[in-house]
Amino acid sequence: MTVDKHSTVGLILPALIALPPLIGLGYAVTASLGLVGVAPGGSTSRYLREVIANHTTWAALGWTLWITIASTFLATLAAVFLAATFRAESKADRFGRIVAVLPLPVPHVVAALSSLLILGQSGLLARVAHSAGIISTPAQMPPLVYDRLGVGLIFALVWKEIPFLALIAFTVLKNRGGMLEETARSLGANGIHTFFYATWPVLWRGMLPGIVAVATFVAGSYETAALLAPSRPLALPLLTMERYTATAMDLRPGAFVLAGFTLLLSLAAVAAYGATIGRTDRLQ
Amino acid sequence: MRTTPIRWQSSLLLVLVLWTALPISVLVISSIGSGWFYPHLVPTSWSTAAWSELVSDRRLSRSLLTSLWLASLTGGIASIVGFEIGRRVSRTPVPLRYFALAAAFLPVAAPPLALGIGLQYFVLRAGLGGTLTGVWLAHSAVAIGYTTLYFIGVFAVFDRRVEEEARSLGASPLATLARVTLPLHRRQLAEALLLGFLVSWAQVPLTLLIGQGAVESLATSVMSYVHAGQDHLASVAGLLLALPGLVLMGVVGSSIRRFAVATV
Amino acid sequence: MRPMVEVESLAASFGESAGLSDISFSVGAGELLVLLGPSGAGKTTLLRTIAGFVAATSGHVRIAERDVTCLPPEKRAAVYLHQSPVLFPHLSVAENVAFPLRLRHVVGNRRSERVAELLESMQILELADRLPRTLSGGQRNRVSLARALAASPMVLLLDEPFSGLDPGLRQDVREAIRIVQRTSAPATVVVTHDLDDAALLADRIGVLINGRLCQIGNPREVMTLPSSREIATLVGFTNTLSARADGIGNIETAIGKLRVCGGTVSGSGSLMFRTDGGRLTCDGEFRGRVTAVTTRPGSVTIRLHSAAGELELASESGRLPEPGDEVEFALHRERLVFFPGS
Repeated sequence: MTVDKHSTVGLILPALIALPPLIGLGYAVTASLGLVGVAPGGSTSRYLREVIANHTTWAALGWTLWITIASTFLATLAAVFLAATFRAESKADRFGRIVAVLPLPVPHVVAALSSLLILGQSGLLARVAHSAGIISTPAQMPPLVYDRLGVGLIFALVWKEIPFLALIAFTVLKNRGGMLEETARSLGANGIHTFFYATWPVLWRGMLPGIVAVATFVAGSYETAALLAPSRPLALPLLTMERYTATAMDLRPGAFVLAGFTLLLSLAAVAAYGATIGRTDRLQ
Repeated sequence: MRTTPIRWQSSLLLVLVLWTALPISVLVISSIGSGWFYPHLVPTSWSTAAWSELVSDRRLSRSLLTSLWLASLTGGIASIVGFEIGRRVSRTPVPLRYFALAAAFLPVAAPPLALGIGLQYFVLRAGLGGTLTGVWLAHSAVAIGYTTLYFIGVFAVFDRRVEEEARSLGASPLATLARVTLPLHRRQLAEALLLGFLVSWAQVPLTLLIGQGAVESLATSVMSYVHAGQDHLASVAGLLLALPGLVLMGVVGSSIRRFAVATV
Repeated sequence: MRPMVEVESLAASFGESAGLSDISFSVGAGELLVLLGPSGAGKTTLLRTIAGFVAATSGHVRIAERDVTCLPPEKRAAVYLHQSPVLFPHLSVAENVAFPLRLRHVVGNRRSERVAELLESMQILELADRLPRTLSGGQRNRVSLARALAASPMVLLLDEPFSGLDPGLRQDVREAIRIVQRTSAPATVVVTHDLDDAALLADRIGVLINGRLCQIGNPREVMTLPSSREIATLVGFTNTLSARADGIGNIETAIGKLRVCGGTVSGSGSLMFRTDGGRLTCDGEFRGRVTAVTTRPGSVTIRLHSAAGELELASESGRLPEPGDEVEFALHRERLVFFPGS
C-alpha cells in the first residue's frame, strides 16, 4: 500500500459536500417543471412561462440588479480609495487599515438593523436634521429605508462590503503595486497619473474576483432585504420567499423557478470568478 | 508609496473611524438608552433593562443558547470534516483536484435561500423540519464547504515529508495523523472551528426555512424583534451577534483574511 | 556477510525520473552502499521503493529475509531520511528522538534513558529541550540521525544527506553517519552526487544510469575501472581520446601510440582517463600547449591543447607552467580505460 490510494477518497468526499446544493438545485429545477412538489402534474413549462411572463419577476430582477450594482460599485470605489490612502507603514496608515476592516465579521442582519436605526424615518439622521432645523416632524424626512431607491439597503451593504474589498485591495497593492508606481514616478508621472496608469490597472484586476464574489452574495442576501427593502418592487430573495410561503399553493412552483434562477446565476458567477482568477494569475 | 498628504489623511482617518463606529455605537446606545425617541439625539436616560432581559426574557436567552449550541456544533463538525476532506484532496492528482475545489465551492456559492427551498422538502420528509437537528444539518452543509475550501488551501502548502518521516519511523497512518498531522494543525483547526461557527452564527434564511419558526436563533430573533418594534431587544441581540466576530478580529488579527470569505 | 536488505529484479516508476528496471543487489548488516548516478537516474525512486513510499511494479524487496514488497512503510524496519532533515516542528529535540520509542511502547525511565543515550552518541545532549527551528543545519542532521537510530532500523536509507552543505557540515554529517554505523550497524544505502563523500564512506558503490544498476563494486573498482563511458564520466574520467586498439595491447590515438596492459579488445573506441591519468614530465612521449592553469583546494589542474584536443592533467609537483608554454607529458598506462565502439 502506498499513500496514493487516498486520492480516490479525496474525490468522493468533496462530491458528498456538493450533494446538498446539487439535491437542492435538482429539486428546485424538477419542481419548477412540475415533476415534483405540491401538485405534480407531470412535466410542464407552465410555471416557467408564468414567472417569465409576470412583470413582478422582472421588476424584482431589475431592482435586485440595481442594488447589487450600486452597492458593489460604491464599496469598490471606497475600498480603492482606502487602499490608496492608507498603504504606507506609518502608525496612522496601519491604524487606518485596521479600522477599515473592522466591520468584516459583523453579520449582515446587524448591519441592516443599524441602518434602520440610523436612516429610519425617525432614526438618528432624522433627529440630526431636526436638531439642525431642517425638519420638524419625521414625516418630513425623505424615506431612506423601504424606499424605491434602496438607500438604507445600499448603506448597510456598502458598510459590510467595504472591509472585504478593502482587505483585498490592501493585499494587492502590497504585493504588486510598489515597483510599478516607482517606475511611473521616476519616469515623471505625478500622483494622479501614477494612480491611473500604474496603481489602478493593477488594483482592479486583483480585485476582480472579490468584486464578483461580493456581487453574488449581495444579490442573494435575504436578511438585509427583509429588513430594509420596500414591498414594491420586491427584491428577488423576498419575492422568492413570498411565493414559497404563500397560502395559495399554486404560487409555490414559481418560487422553485425563482430559486432555480438564483442558483444558476450563482453558478454563472462562480464560473466568472474562476475565469477572472485565471486571468489575474496570467497577468501576474 | 504614499500618495496622500498627511493632513488629508488625518481627516480621512477621522471620517473612517466615524463611519465604522457609528452603526455599532447606535446599537450600543439603543440597547442601554431608555426613552430614546424622536427627536432626542441622545437617550433621556440610561438603563440596562434591555440587557437584563437576557436573563428574564426566555425568548432572547433561548435564542442565544440555541445559536451558541448550533454554531459550536457546526464549527466543531465542519472543522473536523473539512480537515479530513482537505487532507485527502491534497493527495489527489492536479486535474482532478479542480473538480474537488468546484464541489467544495458549490455550497459556498449557492444562495442560502435557494438552497433552503431546495432542501426543505427532504428535511421535512426526514421528519427534521422545525428541529434543531434539521437546522444544524442545513448549517453544516454550508459550513463544511467553507472549511473544506480553507483546508484545501492549508494542505496545498503542507510539507508532507513530515508525515513520510513518521511512517518511515514506524508510525501507522492513524498514529501519523494523531501524533504529527493533527498537532501541527492545531491553529488551523481552531481557525476552521471559528469559521464554521461564524457561518452558522450569522445564518438567517436556512434557519427560517428549515427551522420553520420552531427554532429561533439570535440572528432570526433580531428580525423578529425589529418586526415587533422592540428596538432595544433587537439591539441587544444584534450586539450579541456582532460580539464573537469582533473578538475574533482581536485574536486573529491580520490573519482575518482567511475568514473574509465567510463574512461577505 | 548475510544480506540485511535484498533487492531482486525490482522495477518501479515515479514522476518524471527514469523508471527502475531490473535492479538487483544486496547490502549486509553494517555495510554502507553508496548510490551514484546523474540526476533523474532513479536513485531517489529506488530508495523510496525500498522504504515503501513508491510501489514496485515487479520484483521483490527483502529485509532480514522477510519479503516486504507489499508492506506499508511503517512495517518494513527501514528508515528513510529526506534530503534535508525533517524534524517534527511541534516537538523538542528529545521528543523528536523519543517519537519512535513511544510508537514501540517504550515507557518511563527506559525511554528517557534511551533518548539520553542516543543524544549523547550524537554529541547533542545539550540540545534536548530545544525546538527544531532554533537548531543549525548540522544539529538538525544529528537529531534526524539520532531519531532514526531510536527506531532500531535494520536498513537506513539516506537521500543526498550532503546536498547543499559546506565542507565543515559535510564532515559533520559523515562523522554522524559513522557513529550510526558503529552504534547499531544497519545496512545503509546513501545517495550522493559527490565522489569524495562516496570514496570516504562507501564499502561499495553502485552506479545507477537511466533506472538501471550498471555497476556495483568496491570504490577502487568503480573509480578506476568503470564499466561504461557514462560511468567513467560520472566518476571523473574527464579526458577522452578517440582511439583504435589492435587487440594485443597497442592503442593508436591522435597524440601517438600507447601500450596498455592486458588489452585484448580490438577496433575503434574511446580511451578515457582522469586528470591523474597523466603527468607533465621533461621526457614525456606526448606534447601539448598549456591553455589554462586552475588552482582548486588541494589540487592544481593543467589544461592543455594537444593533437587529440583539450586534455586536463593534475599537476603532481614542481614548477607550474604558464599558459602558452609548450610541455611534454606521459600517461599512466594502468589508469587508462578503453571503451570499444562509438
